[in-house]
Amino acid sequence: MLVAELFASSLRMAVPILLTAIGAVYTERSGIVNIGLEGMMIVGSFWASVGAYFYGPIMGLIYAMMAGAFLALIHSVATVTFRVNQVVSGVALNILAYGSSRFLSLIIFNKATTSHHVSGFKTVDIPGLSEIAFLQPLMTDISPILIMALILVPVSKYIIDKTVFGLRLRSVGENPLAADTLGINVFAMRYAGVIISGMLAGAAGAYLTMEHTGMYVEGMTQGKGYIAMAAMIFGNWTPTGTLWASLLFGFAEALSLRAGEGSIIPYQFIKMIPYVLTLAVLTGIVKKSTPPAASGVPYDRSTG
Amino acid sequence: MKKDYKILALKILAPFVAIILAAFISSLIILAIDKDPLQVFYTMFKFSFKRIDSIAMILFNATPLIFSALAVSIGFKMGLFNIGIEGQYLIGTFMAALVGFSIKGLPAVIHLPLVILAGIVGGMIWSFIPIFLKVKRGVHEVISTIMLNYVAYSLIHFLIADVFRDRQQSLVEGLGSVLVRTPKLAASAVIPKMHGFLAFFGVQLPKHVYLNWFFPISVVLAAGIYYLIMRTPFGYELRAVGHNPEASCIAGINQGRIYFKGFLLSGAVAGLVGLSDLLGYFRYMDMDFPRGYGFDGIAVALIAQNNPFGIIASAILFGFLKRGSEGIQALLKVPMDTIVILQSLMIIFIVVITKIINDYVKRLEKREVA
Repeated sequence: MLVAELFASSLRMAVPILLTAIGAVYTERSGIVNIGLEGMMIVGSFWASVGAYFYGPIMGLIYAMMAGAFLALIHSVATVTFRVNQVVSGVALNILAYGSSRFLSLIIFNKATTSHHVSGFKTVDIPGLSEIAFLQPLMTDISPILIMALILVPVSKYIIDKTVFGLRLRSVGENPLAADTLGINVFAMRYAGVIISGMLAGAAGAYLTMEHTGMYVEGMTQGKGYIAMAAMIFGNWTPTGTLWASLLFGFAEALSLRAGEGSIIPYQFIKMIPYVLTLAVLTGIVKKSTPPAASGVPYDRSTG
Repeated sequence: MKKDYKILALKILAPFVAIILAAFISSLIILAIDKDPLQVFYTMFKFSFKRIDSIAMILFNATPLIFSALAVSIGFKMGLFNIGIEGQYLIGTFMAALVGFSIKGLPAVIHLPLVILAGIVGGMIWSFIPIFLKVKRGVHEVISTIMLNYVAYSLIHFLIADVFRDRQQSLVEGLGSVLVRTPKLAASAVIPKMHGFLAFFGVQLPKHVYLNWFFPISVVLAAGIYYLIMRTPFGYELRAVGHNPEASCIAGINQGRIYFKGFLLSGAVAGLVGLSDLLGYFRYMDMDFPRGYGFDGIAVALIAQNNPFGIIASAILFGFLKRGSEGIQALLKVPMDTIVILQSLMIIFIVVITKIINDYVKRLEKREVA
């Protein structure tokens, strides 16, 4: 029972990381580093509370994804069209997300740090499996966004590996000059990659607000955008790898919540697991990482 | 020659254009909530500059940002992005606090420099890890420093809450619970305020102003870093690596060694970021110790285009914005976060404008060659 509960809790913790990390796969595969994912998650969590409070959960999700996409649009204009430093743009967007959410929260909800209570989607039970007592915590009260996130993994794998869009996305991330000479619109593909990542990070924010907490709270993302980047790296820039990494990081988070005072390992150390593991992967201690060749490199037609 | 002046003029103009554009968009936001932007900006200026203590507070606000931006700019000069100032200064601040509260009975002339040194060492330790991983294993410094920021948050949390927590503190009056914080620092570890010195010139500051000697220290450090980078062989090599890694390698510059030295220097400066607050204001470290100076420092360095003297000016600008934002919230009921939005817009505009100018300069140079 306890085991199943811990797994259920890990899965729920993994959802926002997974959604954002899959988004990170799209943007990185197109060659754009998106540090702003944290900010896109923040605006997602805030706008979800606005949409859900006034119009219900579906609009909450849509508002959140649009807000994330809007921030991503700014990122792509800055980094793809103007080719500015991708990290700088991301840092600026994180600050913008923080400031604008506080500002708007004060205007809309009269409080800078929290929204009113909002209701999420109706949860679902998996028919049949939810009857088994052992599996009950895993199979009941499931958020539709959780199911959406899980379905997104094979779908993204298919899109990136098997479709024309995916091939083009990967080619501009590996060698933009070669892709350009073949007639692929490098700029359009990179815009697409970044905006998809913004929408998914926004959806992750909506999950936190509507499904996890029931309201927007300032700082509720707690650096999950960065953990998602770590999960994407740990998953070696693939959707399936990202899934396992997100589950592992979600597990670490669920564990750190359970490890109160007086446990053998202080919970602060359990919280470090995602970051330390990612450093270990990048160092080559755990396994070899293979980032897209042109990730982080702006593409300029005149110089290649 | 005429071209050079043109480029120089454009480069000096760029930050001002960015500030004006950001102020313009912020004005639209202020208009959207039915307030008068001109009145908001006027209030910011009046609130900030009408009284001498307010100006001193601006300088106090600017102090950590000067250190932070200097640390960022050293990284930028050699083409590395130190986004880990955040973690480096938290570790540095903690180390300084540790030396400050655990050693007792030393005279201030020895204790205070020791505490500052501990901060520097803390920052260097936390910057050593990413640069070691970069040079030895090829790990990108942006990712490793971000990860290390979060490791630092958790580590500091653990050290303050579990290991060095002050369990003997008496209950604060009016507060039911005690703070989760380190013990208070010894009196010999406290940095003196500038009140006495300024009184000598007839400037009387009230007690609630915390402007201390770290401000002049940061200004002197800025001058020192300018000299180091522009006038010494090490500075030359640092800039060469930043400008063109391949060419500098062919010229016989050991890139790895420069990266090591430069990044450790950046970390050492980062270790000073939190000390003005720690030694001049709080005198203990708790869970709510100011965060975000690392990211603000990136903004300050960008607006100053990594020029140390420009950094002093743009840090004071940010100090003014913070002070002014408190004013507009208190007097006009305009959310102070308007200013946070303004700052983020300034970053985006400055990088876009600099990029456009650089492209334009390149085109000018190409035309000249042709």
